[in-house]
Amino acid sequence: MADTSVTTATTTDAAADEAFAEAYTKPIIRYGRATNLLAVLFCFIPAVVVWLVFGYLPQIGDILTGWGLIASIYLVFAFIEPISYYPIVGLSGVYMVCLSGNIGNVRIPCALMTQQVLKTEPGTRKAELVSTLGIAGSIITNLALTTLAALAGAFIMSILPPIIIEALSYVSPAIFGAMFGMQAAKNLKYACFAALLGFLAMGVFNIATYVTVPLMVFGTVAFAMLVDNRKSKEEGPKEEAA
Amino acid sequence: MDYKLIANSWAIWLAVIPVALLEIYQAYIFAKKTKAAGPLVGLSAEEANKAFKVGMRSAIGPSLGVFAVMLGLMAVIGAPLAWQRLSIIGAAPTELAAATMAAKAQGLELSSPDYGAINFANACWVMALNGNAWLLTSGLLADKLDKISKKVMGHNKKTLGIFTVAATCGAFGYMCINQVIIGLAPAKNEVLASTICSFVLMVVLERVAKKHPRLGEWTLGIAMAAGMAMAVIFKHLVMGA
Repeated sequence: MADTSVTTATTTDAAADEAFAEAYTKPIIRYGRATNLLAVLFCFIPAVVVWLVFGYLPQIGDILTGWGLIASIYLVFAFIEPISYYPIVGLSGVYMVCLSGNIGNVRIPCALMTQQVLKTEPGTRKAELVSTLGIAGSIITNLALTTLAALAGAFIMSILPPIIIEALSYVSPAIFGAMFGMQAAKNLKYACFAALLGFLAMGVFNIATYVTVPLMVFGTVAFAMLVDNRKSKEEGPKEEAA
Repeated sequence: MDYKLIANSWAIWLAVIPVALLEIYQAYIFAKKTKAAGPLVGLSAEEANKAFKVGMRSAIGPSLGVFAVMLGLMAVIGAPLAWQRLSIIGAAPTELAAATMAAKAQGLELSSPDYGAINFANACWVMALNGNAWLLTSGLLADKLDKISKKVMGHNKKTLGIFTVAATCGAFGYMCINQVIIGLAPAKNEVLASTICSFVLMVVLERVAKKHPRLGEWTLGIAMAAGMAMAVIFKHLVMGA
């Protein structure tokens, strides 16, 4: 464990940066890279067991065709998502969300809720640490619910009233409406711009999804920088306390 | 041999567990490093424990959606593989699509009565190959992202804050407007009603939570529940389905 006692209020920014890198950034990269790359191998175990234990190996052409079909939709997201979500969850978050999946619908909302309840300032190191813990917590809940589904799913479905089962199919509009509402409550200007951009990209021009996602993330960032620059110029050089 | 016997066998359960253990190990190590580095950025042990608990609780609502998809996926590819694929890497719709494409490559649909062991075997390979793309990009590129962003952004706290808030707005703007556009189709108006209901309620709850901080971590759950209820009510009462 890194010795943190050397860090006092008198150390310079550079020394604090160095201490943080030693205690956090470096080990996160070491462990994050190792676990995610090891998971690549582990993910093939079921396919290998079906082949070696049960004797079923599909023709290589079928595997590649299936992979090609699905990759043509999703491969680009494997690049887009880490880049688009990095500003929200930071370095440790990128490793975790890529290994644990359900990024937009579970991990990011949980990371943001955690930051909000702990009242951390967005973009700070404290916010990154807090969202890392929030994501770790969400992984436990997710695992508990999928395990419950695996063990007792059929039974649970048989005792739930049909209306509840119907309601469960509307999780997506409910969660994404709420999460965007949360953002709009925080910054109406950015949210209005994002909504307008979304309508233009998806409703009017029908742009491909893999272009729309980064366009909206970085388009809104560009808009925010522009607005902020103009505001700073109007207010002159004095530091604002917002 | 019926492929379901293979798909639900102990051998497959044993085969899917290692990667889940790896995921738990990563979450454990990261949480430990986070707590150790906490004092450097003013994060107390108490706050760290609270953050973990908030993450656990706030995941209940969103994970219900995963639960629902898992029941559908289980029926086709068996419990163990569905459990693995939805506990790690892929999002629920991605995995369903991957299983569908694996079957299509062999010339049949997921729901086909002819779906057999060889098709299940193909699903295993295709799902692994598809999900591994995220593991490779994050495993190989995450540290480069970190370096590039630090170079571009520097350590200007204000700029970083604006960057994060705006990026979040853009990301959820995409997901929300996507639902709105789905809901604009007359047959899907209940999706629109649900999205608007959750959105408006969340804006209101966020205001209320400012005065009553204890409400803070429940806002998402309440808004989601209301949105789902609205979808069903709207569909049955207004659309007359």
